[in-house]
Amino acid sequence: MLWYKSWLETRSRFFIGLALVICSAVGVVLLYPKVQQLLVTLPGTELGGEIGRKVREAALLASDYRGYIWSQWYRQNLIQLWTIFAVILGAGGLVSQMSGGGALFTLSLPASRREHVIVRAAAGLAELFILALVPSLLIPVLSPAVGQSYAVADALVHALCLFVAGTVFFSLAFLLSTVFTDVWRPLLLALCAAAVLALAEQFVDGLWRYGVIGTMSGERYFRGGGLPWAGLVISAAVSASLIYLASTNLARRDF
Amino acid sequence: MLFRPNPSSGVPIYLQLMEQVKHAIETGALRPGDQLPGMRPLAEELVINPNTVAKAYRELEHEGVIELRHGAGAFVSGTAGSTTKVADKVRAGQAIVAAAVAKLRARGVTDDEIRRLVDAELSGRRTGGHGG
Amino acid sequence: MAEPLAIETVELRKHYDGMEALRGLTLAVPKGSIFGFLGRNGAGKTTTIKVLLGMARPSGGDARVFGLAARDEQASVEIRRRTGFVSDDKELYPYFTVGEMVRFTAAFYPRWRTELEARYLRAFELPADRKVKALSHGMRTKLALLLAFCRGAELLVLDEPTSGLDPAMTEEVLQALVSHVAREEMTVFFSSHQIAEVDQIADRVAIIDRGRTVVSGGLDDLRERYCRIQFVFDGDAPEHAFRAPGVERTRRKGRVLTVTSSAGSSALVDEARALRPVSIDVTPIALKDIFLETVITEEA
Repeated sequence: MLWYKSWLETRSRFFIGLALVICSAVGVVLLYPKVQQLLVTLPGTELGGEIGRKVREAALLASDYRGYIWSQWYRQNLIQLWTIFAVILGAGGLVSQMSGGGALFTLSLPASRREHVIVRAAAGLAELFILALVPSLLIPVLSPAVGQSYAVADALVHALCLFVAGTVFFSLAFLLSTVFTDVWRPLLLALCAAAVLALAEQFVDGLWRYGVIGTMSGERYFRGGGLPWAGLVISAAVSASLIYLASTNLARRDF
Repeated sequence: MLFRPNPSSGVPIYLQLMEQVKHAIETGALRPGDQLPGMRPLAEELVINPNTVAKAYRELEHEGVIELRHGAGAFVSGTAGSTTKVADKVRAGQAIVAAAVAKLRARGVTDDEIRRLVDAELSGRRTGGHGG
Repeated sequence: MAEPLAIETVELRKHYDGMEALRGLTLAVPKGSIFGFLGRNGAGKTTTIKVLLGMARPSGGDARVFGLAARDEQASVEIRRRTGFVSDDKELYPYFTVGEMVRFTAAFYPRWRTELEARYLRAFELPADRKVKALSHGMRTKLALLLAFCRGAELLVLDEPTSGLDPAMTEEVLQALVSHVAREEMTVFFSSHQIAEVDQIADRVAIIDRGRTVVSGGLDDLRERYCRIQFVFDGDAPEHAFRAPGVERTRRKGRVLTVTSSAGSSALVDEARALRPVSIDVTPIALKDIFLETVITEEA
């Protein structure tokens, strides 16, 4: 029954997230013809320096459909959108329910603190997985509409990378939610952490191989290097530790 | 028929209940052989602790005022003699008190002072007399 | 194994962030009793309850429910399986309906009493499809009580069950409580600062002040033991330190010496006779006065 309660508590957030990632998937596919047209008219090759290089690189990637999907969506829009919801779903929980959420009632039930944590974490992660899988699978389904095709295997791999690596942000918000009594601080702090990491990976060379964001985007796989095992394992380990810490925090807390 | 006891009077509720039952017997509202309300329904009706009702009934049985018949309930005991004896005693007592009060009033003692004198006399008797 | 005490604490201590909420609290709640736990706001009533139910961990001392240690996590789950609880705030899940709250709670208790559920839903007039957030405080209290009653629990722990209720609804709640207890074998432990309701339905009582028990015992026993003795003297009332035990408080004003005793009146009256009072008045005192005198004394 704790599952049902978790579901009721998160389903609005989940459905909003699902709607948004679906729109995002539909959008990125349907925009492709427009983007193709734009690329032709792009005066980018005249720009010099770093910006020029980046523009030319982007143009090159986007000229191929698979590259377009990866560079515009998996590496960008989807990660941003999905991470926001990972953090949103990770926040909440018993500590923030101390005023107005019936936390004491929940704690009076014959379930251990660990059970509460496990159920909430598992429910959140299940929802996040769907938020990664559904839009990803939409890409191969919708691509024929713009005269393209996209491998289902690619979609699955990217969904997996996004989910496994991205759980780090969910777990961070989850851990923070056992420390702060309001919903906002865990949310904002976890989002800041995500932003900082994203920036760090941009500017520190090579970090993307092991970095969370880089793994989420599945860059190594995209560039033909196979699954980013190191990144996935590290992320999964970090997530698990954060959730374990959250469980310990909650077990020790006085309500 | 049985009134809500006053929980804040400082007098134990079970004693108040016992008094009520005895008073009801004296005034004839309850006659020998009459059945008293069940313990559970009475507790529910008066909104008091069921243990308290049980205690009152047990004490009343101990004093011989009522009989607890296993499975059937509580009944006013058939010893009509003790009932009328109690009633007689009370009636005689009423006469004595009426006379004493009249006398004291005639001397100008106020009702409050009369009450205090009676209380002091009663507690004095309990504790072996007061000084002065 | 018959455990005679439903709840037992020994020198229980709890501090939060440098504030000592419980400073050595000792309690014994016998099985089958209706136990009233009285204290001023902030005396430690809710903290005690939270420790007993595993919502907070004690800093020292011992707390046991059904003989199980409250600070042990596994034992605590077992305690909660056999206990019905209503919190001070009566908060439930705002977005659940009444029916969903019932089904949700029932799922955790294999001994859930469906016949009681039907009876109380009717008696309390709780509409099954109304959302909890749309319920008034009184209705929420009744729902919380229903959820506690139907669990098939041996112990009910109620934190200020009638707080915020008007007199009519307070009476309804007390009646439901008495009625439930009359039919089932159970122990009730309820905290309150409404003396009248404790007077009415409790058979045992403990008064707690600033984290410690100051009075405890059977309510009838307390009523018989506590009394106020007023000695009037010819001249000014003398200063006398009573040797007899049970003196809770003495007040001298002019020719009157008033003593509050917790051990009856005979020993003190005997001792005071040597002082030659003009009159002696012994009156019983109500729980309210016992409360006011024992709690205020601590401050003085």
